[in-house]
Amino acid sequence: MSADATCSCPTPDTYAAKDFRSTLKPIWCPGCGDFGVVSAVYRALANIGRPPHEIAFISGIGCSSRIPGYTTAYGFNTVHGRALPIAQGIKMASPELLVLAAGGDGDGFSIGGGHVPHAIRRNLDITYLVMDNQIYGLTKGQLSPTSARGTKTPSSLYGSIEDPVNPLLYVLAYGAGFVAQGIPGDMDGLAKLIEEAIRYPGFSFVNIQSPCVTFGNPENQVKAQKAKMKKLADLGHDPTNRLRAMDLASAYSTELYTGVFYKNPNPPETYDSHIKQMQQDLAPQAKPLDQLLPLAT
Amino acid sequence: MAKERHLLEKKGYLDAKEIIMLNDLIIGMAGSGGDGIVSAGESLISASAKEGYFAILTKSFGSQIRGGESSCRLRVSTLPVLNPGGTLDVAVVLNWEDFLRFGGELPVGPETIVIYEAKTKVAPDAVPLKVKPATVLAVPLEEMAIKAAGTELAKNNVVLGLLAGWFGLAQKAIIEGIHKKFAKKGADVLAGNDRAFAAGLEYAAQNPFAQDKRLSPPAPGKHASKVLTDGNEMIGAGAIFAGCKFFGGYPITPASEIMQYLQKELYKYGGSVLQAEDEIAGVAAAVGASFAGKKAMTATSGPGLSLKTEVLGLSSLAELPLVCVNVQRGGPSTGMPTKPEQADLFAAAFSSHGDTVRPILAPIGVADCFEVTVEAFNIAEQYQTPVIVLSDQEIAQRKEIVDPVDTSKLSLVDRLRPNAQELENYTRFKLNDTGISPLSHPGMKGGAYLAAGIEHNEKGSPTASGEMHAKMNDKRLNKLNPLKRRQDLFIIEGDADATIGLIAWGSIAGVALEAVRITRAAGIKVKVLVPKLVYPVAEDIYREFFVGLNHCIVVEQSHQGQLHKIIRMWVDTPKGFTAFAKSGANPITPEEVVQKIRALAS
Repeated sequence: MSADATCSCPTPDTYAAKDFRSTLKPIWCPGCGDFGVVSAVYRALANIGRPPHEIAFISGIGCSSRIPGYTTAYGFNTVHGRALPIAQGIKMASPELLVLAAGGDGDGFSIGGGHVPHAIRRNLDITYLVMDNQIYGLTKGQLSPTSARGTKTPSSLYGSIEDPVNPLLYVLAYGAGFVAQGIPGDMDGLAKLIEEAIRYPGFSFVNIQSPCVTFGNPENQVKAQKAKMKKLADLGHDPTNRLRAMDLASAYSTELYTGVFYKNPNPPETYDSHIKQMQQDLAPQAKPLDQLLPLAT
Repeated sequence: MAKERHLLEKKGYLDAKEIIMLNDLIIGMAGSGGDGIVSAGESLISASAKEGYFAILTKSFGSQIRGGESSCRLRVSTLPVLNPGGTLDVAVVLNWEDFLRFGGELPVGPETIVIYEAKTKVAPDAVPLKVKPATVLAVPLEEMAIKAAGTELAKNNVVLGLLAGWFGLAQKAIIEGIHKKFAKKGADVLAGNDRAFAAGLEYAAQNPFAQDKRLSPPAPGKHASKVLTDGNEMIGAGAIFAGCKFFGGYPITPASEIMQYLQKELYKYGGSVLQAEDEIAGVAAAVGASFAGKKAMTATSGPGLSLKTEVLGLSSLAELPLVCVNVQRGGPSTGMPTKPEQADLFAAAFSSHGDTVRPILAPIGVADCFEVTVEAFNIAEQYQTPVIVLSDQEIAQRKEIVDPVDTSKLSLVDRLRPNAQELENYTRFKLNDTGISPLSHPGMKGGAYLAAGIEHNEKGSPTASGEMHAKMNDKRLNKLNPLKRRQDLFIIEGDADATIGLIAWGSIAGVALEAVRITRAAGIKVKVLVPKLVYPVAEDIYREFFVGLNHCIVVEQSHQGQLHKIIRMWVDTPKGFTAFAKSGANPITPEEVVQKIRALAS
């Protein structure tokens, strides 16, 4: 299967980024990293070239989960933590759609954390974007699953006494075929990563360190991130080397690596293609609908 | 016949009468796991199906995963069977301890013929039963099995031979069934089973009862035109017929067979099945599939329903059609997974935050599971709402012989989709008189919108406007009102001028219907109302039913009498409006209900 299997349709230059921007005004605070993320999504989708109505964009609950409404795709702003199972249901029912799922670190790694390993091992051809800001912004600044140990918040007044989840290591350990990290400060890089994730034929994951301007660490905002980031490509990282990728991912809390950590050079058959095959193989066994239950003989 | 009469005289049964032909026979059997009692029941019902009888086979087990005590009860009839029946006509006891453990599930009365394993060494006049049955017979089952087949494993075939011999059950079909079942075990095993069966027949011929009772032959022309199935399979098949293209679920007793059936079948019809990582993911994926434009379903039992409630709310607010089957078992929490109860009605109706109404349908038996499921899809699609089907363990897992579904009378409804003109300026949640607005799906050009769990305006954009919220609540709740006028979702039977009424739903409805038929045959005026649409409460239909009633009993299998209470929330009920309610796994029999009616009539 070619790496471009998801987008066999129009020529890439049919759409411009603005074609994916809706008229809805974002509720995000000025300076929020998510503005950059949605712009990167517009660019990536324009490069992919699928028309907006063939895209289903699913999210959970949180600031970042508002993102589908800011696109011209079919959006589904669901309930907290359930973007992935809903996205999988959509992809299974309509495999021809381009399916994107998105949400925050709380949505994906706390309340919805139980769904991530299963989405990965099932391997439907969907792309999951997590806007990781290490805080609960919408509920006004509580501790999140990716908050660093010691973080003081209204729900951890004396400093967090638990270790954070490492999203990169987590998805790599579960066997995701495509794992990347980007930042909105590097718009070009992020748009390319999202595009590459969408083109990957299977479950793909992009962790986007998208800072919270209101409740996040003031020293970890868009500009500071840009200065801190280290491009994996510049480090000479080979994205087909999964063990090395896990090594680099271990530095999640200390280093800000951007780029592709891991990309399976031999993507396995996806769940959705198995379904298609089973439907084709089993169709001849279909009985007339008025004879579904056999007579006792 | 002369020989038989001679034998009777010899044994002292001098008053041998004409043979009584029965239209209905209830046999209960119990033993240990290895006794093959359930297998014998299955053989009997398969044979009955081939012969063209109607029947219900309920199986009951101890809580062990394998082994332990097991029992079954078979009610076989020349007419459609409404419920598993009450007091047994025939009890087969392989082991008294096991038999007694099933208590009320295998009730023995004075008329019951009790056949038990002689090896238990209990004297016929000392059997450990509360009542003293007129006929009690010790039979050396194990001894006969060993003698005929060389193994005690064949004793269930001895039992089959006895029952066939004594009650005129279909010999040929039983033997064919046994052969089919043991075909792979080789000629020796087959021959052994044949001999065991023949030994049972012979024993029955040698030892006739004082009063010979035989099952009448099945209605003519019905031969081999029956379906042997269960409620879970019927629901799965109904879903396929309705056009379901996606199922998402999680294994749970007693609902798993729905997922298993669809996993096997749905791909053939262009659909797919997700065994999800949990109950929430199962229903969430189904809502996703519905958003994608396909008919979708999930199925579960009590604990799963609790977990799914948030996503059911999403389905309500985003107005996405969804069918959620809940096969009730004893609750709360883990409760009694292998026993039936009707105690999830409150949960199905009310376990959502916010102002929500979601329709609830309940099949009354295996036979109508198919069309109730089709109706659930039709209502879900028509009104763009989640619909809960409340089945129960009894209906779900009992085997039943039913007539083939007459699909010609069923019609299918698809959701209202936007036309070309509506797609020019698509307004997903457009307010109108019906409350039903065209629903697009991804892939439809011009139809893109934001579906959401958040309150929205007509276009689908998030809103915090109280005014808009009130309008959208009006839309979502009022659109369901026409449902309450669906007379076809209610069974009303009996005397219009009766002063005594019954209301029953789900698997208990068949008990109430039979009780009403029995009491009416005895000259008592009574009527019964069976809602297949359990919620929303169809006020007018109940009001009309209550006219002239001095007494109305809601018969249901829950401690609180949940339907009784829900009706009272919406309708002014007559003075004698009471519940006859029992916790799950305490069978309600037609006899008990008959007694209630008689007491009120006297």
